[in-house]
Amino acid sequence: MTTYQFFTTAWTWNSIVFILSAVASVGYFLAFGQRGRPLYFAAAVVVFLLALISPFNALANGYLFSAHMLQHILLVLIVPALLVLSLPRSFSLHSPFAYFTHPLIGWIAGVGAMWLWHAPTLCNAAATSRTVSAIQTTSLLLMGSLFWWQVLAPREEQRLSPPAGIVYLFTACTACSVLGIILTFAPVSICPVYQNPVDRLGMLGTIRGDWGLTSDRDQQIGGLLMWVPMCAIYVTAILAQLARWHSCPAPQTEKSNA
Amino acid sequence: MNGTTTIAEFREAVLDPAKRRHYQLAWLSTVDHKRIAILYMLTALVFFIIGGVEALFIRLQLAVPNNHFLQPDTFNQLFTMHGTTMIFLVVMPVLFGLVNYVLPLQIGARDMAFPRLNAFGFWCVPLGGILLHFSVLAGGAPAVGWFSYAPLSETPYSSSPGVDYWAVALFVLGIGSISFAINTIATVIALRGPGMTMRRLPLFTWINFVNAFIIIFALPVLNANLAMILIDRQLQGHFFLPIGGGSPVLWQHIFWAFGHPEVYIMALPAFAIVSEIIPVFSRKPIFGYEFVAASSVAIAVLSLGVWGHHMFTVGMGRPLDVFFAISSMLIAIPTGVKVLNWTATMLGGRIRFDVPMLCCIAFLIQFLVAGLTGISHASVALDWQTKNSYFLVAHFHFVAVGAIVFAVISGLQYWFPKMSGRMLSERLGKWTFWLMVIGFNMTFVIQHFLGLLGMPRRVYTYPDLPNWGWMNMLSTSGVFFMSAAALILVWNLATSFFRGKVAGDNPWDAWTLEWATTSSPPHENFIALPPIRSRRPLWDLANPDRPDPIVGENSAAVTRPDHNKVGILTFILSEAGFFAALILAYLYFYARPQAGPGPKELDVPRTLVFSVCLFASSFTFWRSEVALTKQRRGSMLGWLALTILLGGIFLVGQGTEYWKLFQTGVDLSTNLFSTTFFTLTGFHGLHVLLGLIALLIFLWLAWEGDLASGRGESAFKSVGYYWHFVDVVWVFVLLTVYILPLVR
Repeated sequence: MTTYQFFTTAWTWNSIVFILSAVASVGYFLAFGQRGRPLYFAAAVVVFLLALISPFNALANGYLFSAHMLQHILLVLIVPALLVLSLPRSFSLHSPFAYFTHPLIGWIAGVGAMWLWHAPTLCNAAATSRTVSAIQTTSLLLMGSLFWWQVLAPREEQRLSPPAGIVYLFTACTACSVLGIILTFAPVSICPVYQNPVDRLGMLGTIRGDWGLTSDRDQQIGGLLMWVPMCAIYVTAILAQLARWHSCPAPQTEKSNA
Repeated sequence: MNGTTTIAEFREAVLDPAKRRHYQLAWLSTVDHKRIAILYMLTALVFFIIGGVEALFIRLQLAVPNNHFLQPDTFNQLFTMHGTTMIFLVVMPVLFGLVNYVLPLQIGARDMAFPRLNAFGFWCVPLGGILLHFSVLAGGAPAVGWFSYAPLSETPYSSSPGVDYWAVALFVLGIGSISFAINTIATVIALRGPGMTMRRLPLFTWINFVNAFIIIFALPVLNANLAMILIDRQLQGHFFLPIGGGSPVLWQHIFWAFGHPEVYIMALPAFAIVSEIIPVFSRKPIFGYEFVAASSVAIAVLSLGVWGHHMFTVGMGRPLDVFFAISSMLIAIPTGVKVLNWTATMLGGRIRFDVPMLCCIAFLIQFLVAGLTGISHASVALDWQTKNSYFLVAHFHFVAVGAIVFAVISGLQYWFPKMSGRMLSERLGKWTFWLMVIGFNMTFVIQHFLGLLGMPRRVYTYPDLPNWGWMNMLSTSGVFFMSAAALILVWNLATSFFRGKVAGDNPWDAWTLEWATTSSPPHENFIALPPIRSRRPLWDLANPDRPDPIVGENSAAVTRPDHNKVGILTFILSEAGFFAALILAYLYFYARPQAGPGPKELDVPRTLVFSVCLFASSFTFWRSEVALTKQRRGSMLGWLALTILLGGIFLVGQGTEYWKLFQTGVDLSTNLFSTTFFTLTGFHGLHVLLGLIALLIFLWLAWEGDLASGRGESAFKSVGYYWHFVDVVWVFVLLTVYILPLVR
């Protein structure tokens, strides 16, 4: 299969993903109507669909670790951030969920989502089994939302103070970078499925040949994606925290700096 | 040293034995941040002269083609010592000195948070400097470059102890720098005066505060690398020697993971000085304070992750090259934002062209050139051509001299009146400035072209190729202008100290707090602080009818957490960096199994039992802390003793493991596994031991009743944080070393 054929045909028409997106959209408008911020929500749905139906999904399902990583970043960082941003200003969580909004839980969820799913066994399972893959997607969205809640929650008092937010984001960035560094420099395959893919689509020749992506190189790109662009997202969020800090009128934000 | 000094007073102080003893003691044992700052700067000056003379010799050797003025090995020693001296013994100490003097004054503090730690940090500099230079007497200075690439720096290729002295010296200097950074962070967070909220910090303070975090993360990484090379050299380890399976490239990765942030550790304080001086001499507040402040944070965070661009020529593979190229280019954005802010501050200002401002203008232009040649190295293809040529030498000297040295001269001229009570001579200052501008550009502009013509760096001589001769001669000639500038600067400092114009409190009509007190400031810094509502309190004081807009809430309330807690947490951050480097090095080699002993030799069940002891000690310590809070002396002593016992049992367990391994003939030099295993667990054990000593001291204090009535509680809690941290590190060591092989 040539590159052109691949990108025109390898779309995954997964009905569950479409139904879920549709249900979520209807639910969103029924629940929040005019109060919400539908642009963010629409963006979240679009990115979600892109991650799960575009040819990148086909690549992530057993062909390329780097494509899997791109999908991972979209599902754990971009979509949840957009989802949390789409909530109306007045939104707040009710008691059973409120327990999950402790900063430590958010941090562990955000960093854990990266580390947990790159344990070789889990990574392999997610790349081969549709059930595990579905569980992975759900958990990434949930954990990502818990992580972003701390800095993007709808109401000011639900968020961390900007200096604490910077510490939160910076430490998360470091923890993910360490994993990225390990993936980049590991001489062994972290996710062995991608080393010798089952060539379901007849794409392997193109990937290894035309694209020049050997399995070593593929894993390196995956690690680097986690390390560099991911950190760029955190750095952007850190800068947003600084902007918030310098724009908020009351500097009652000092205490959590230590 | 209150007020100004005259020659008569000075003579009396030096000649009268009683007074002399007093001064010696007062200066050698001082814990006053102002005196320590001056000691820092004087030490830097001494090493500046040494490093400068080394540079002079380097340039004399290179003045003409095929020169035999210096032996090749002498040349290598000189450029190694020049680089190391200028970075670690000149630029860092002089900047730390300026920060040490000015930062507490700018935030209205009486001193740094930990005055004795401050003195310790300073005395590390002469100790490190002496260690480094002692190598000359002990068989030859290091001749491997300031980056000390392995395997050249390994015993088979550098058998004289020069590299050992180099590594130990840098280790000591690293510890000193980290303690300085801890102190800076704790001072800014915990010791600000009333009204000085974090958002009202002067930019000099803010940028150096951010910079302290880079130090906290970067220097421990270097220290981990130094520990590894010392283990290789002294204990026959295998980290960086290919013959035993080690990886020279790993040295480069770890070195540049420190080395690139190090560039910003030196550059950010220079940015801080310029951000302070340009507004004062343009008679305008800084343009876009928030952007300067935030871009510093962006630079700090980005700087930690772009080291790969120092290694494009290593052959890391295309994916790494591409990603590092992109991330390196990103740094241009926050740096460019800063240049824009400084220029916009000058735009439309009533600029006073005094020496500090002249230096800042030269800084701006030269830093722009340095930045442009620097960002060009983010392009991999261009980097391959120019990395090992004089183009790169020219680039980093534009940063180190054209930007940083000019900023330092500017800062000295600006703050000398505050330190001495007298102005530096403007006339001599202008001589220094112009000679420096001419000499610097003469030396280094031409080196760009030499590099593009293909002249490689790190060579002791070169063939007589067309144009190389006169270009090098021109470059060497510039050195004499710079030397003259430096001599005039020293002369200016010496004479102005005695005979300069009396400065008064605020000679430059500046706006930050250091100018609110006398010159020089009294021992306690301030009699009373002016009200602080904005970023320019002295402007508000002088212009009550049109004050700056209030920043944040109009209140003097400042939250100031316990400085012990801030200090220990910062220290823990740096230790985490150290262990992260060691653990990553362990994993790096673990993934490449070697012949000989491996993780299978380890006794996992026994280690788990001892680990439980260590983890339990965290719990017992917590009980002891609770008992202390509730003033139950007996229970506190009991729990503390149990903590020490459990920690001791853990160490005994480690000891038995080591003993068993030694019995089977496995020691540090056996193979890569044993080298990494003993290094990682050994450093952890060392930390447990240090923690135990600290706990024993507290046991003794508590026994004597010194902890009664709440005294020392915060110190006790701080030791507790450290103890818990040591346990957490063991969780990671246990997982990597013992558990990982089981699940694989």
